[in-house]
Amino acid sequence: MAQNVTPTNQSTLLPLELVDKCIGSRIHILMKNDKEMSGTLLGFDDFVNMLLEDVTEFENTPEGKRITKLDQILLNGNNITMLVPGGFDMSE
Amino acid sequence: MAEEEQLPIPVKEPLDLIRLSLDEKIYVKLRNERELRGVLHAFDQHLNIILSEAEETITQIEIDEETYEEVYKTTKRTIPFLFIRGDAVILVSPNSSKVF
Amino acid sequence: MSRKEALSQFINQIHGRAVVVKLNSGVDYRGVLACLDGYMNIALDQTEEYQNGQLKNKYGDAFIRGNNVLYISTSKLVKK
Repeated sequence: MAQNVTPTNQSTLLPLELVDKCIGSRIHILMKNDKEMSGTLLGFDDFVNMLLEDVTEFENTPEGKRITKLDQILLNGNNITMLVPGGFDMSE
Repeated sequence: MAEEEQLPIPVKEPLDLIRLSLDEKIYVKLRNERELRGVLHAFDQHLNIILSEAEETITQIEIDEETYEEVYKTTKRTIPFLFIRGDAVILVSPNSSKVF
Repeated sequence: MSRKEALSQFINQIHGRAVVVKLNSGVDYRGVLACLDGYMNIALDQTEEYQNGQLKNKYGDAFIRGNNVLYISTSKLVKK
């Protein structure tokens, strides 16, 4: 009866466990409206709202690419589509 | 999310700010460049709002065909009594505190 | 659950601090954070509204509906 414990085999990693492993390291976030964020992950909650530090925000505006640096942000999880652990090089 | 209880001001949660404006004039910013000023009669947790003596301002951008300049056209109208669906609301401010 | 603690800690120490609230539409609100709830509804004092870096409006107090919020940003506390 007591099947309400995690039904996983040991090798798989739950998606949120992966995010949990990223705490303290750089992470790159792709948002719904083709905006992107990069920063150090400090924490998150069940909605994947995220607390990030030393953040760079990448936006595409009619005037071209805009980059904003931010110290600390609470990012609404609502518009997140993808997370890339470790972040990646935006210079290309 | 954490609850906040230690604030000295009567505004304990964001909705209290609106509660303080009941029966007073407020400014409401809505999606699609709509703005309203009116007397706040009622609201709920979704930000559904009932206003009276509301003045609605609609801003539309038109491109001048010759100069290609963006022209902001604002239209105003008054509505004696109206209901606003909460999901359209962006911002609410007590009218007294609007600086310009 | 240490990952959640970081968030609640941030939320608990954010009151009364100068913040930038960015909406999905790209509009920025700069002001002093009065309070915040679980929907990310926000009450701001001394609010300034910026569009494309230009000041558009000022409000003494403002309520922002949480669904429009992209992020709430603070600058680091200056340690002296």
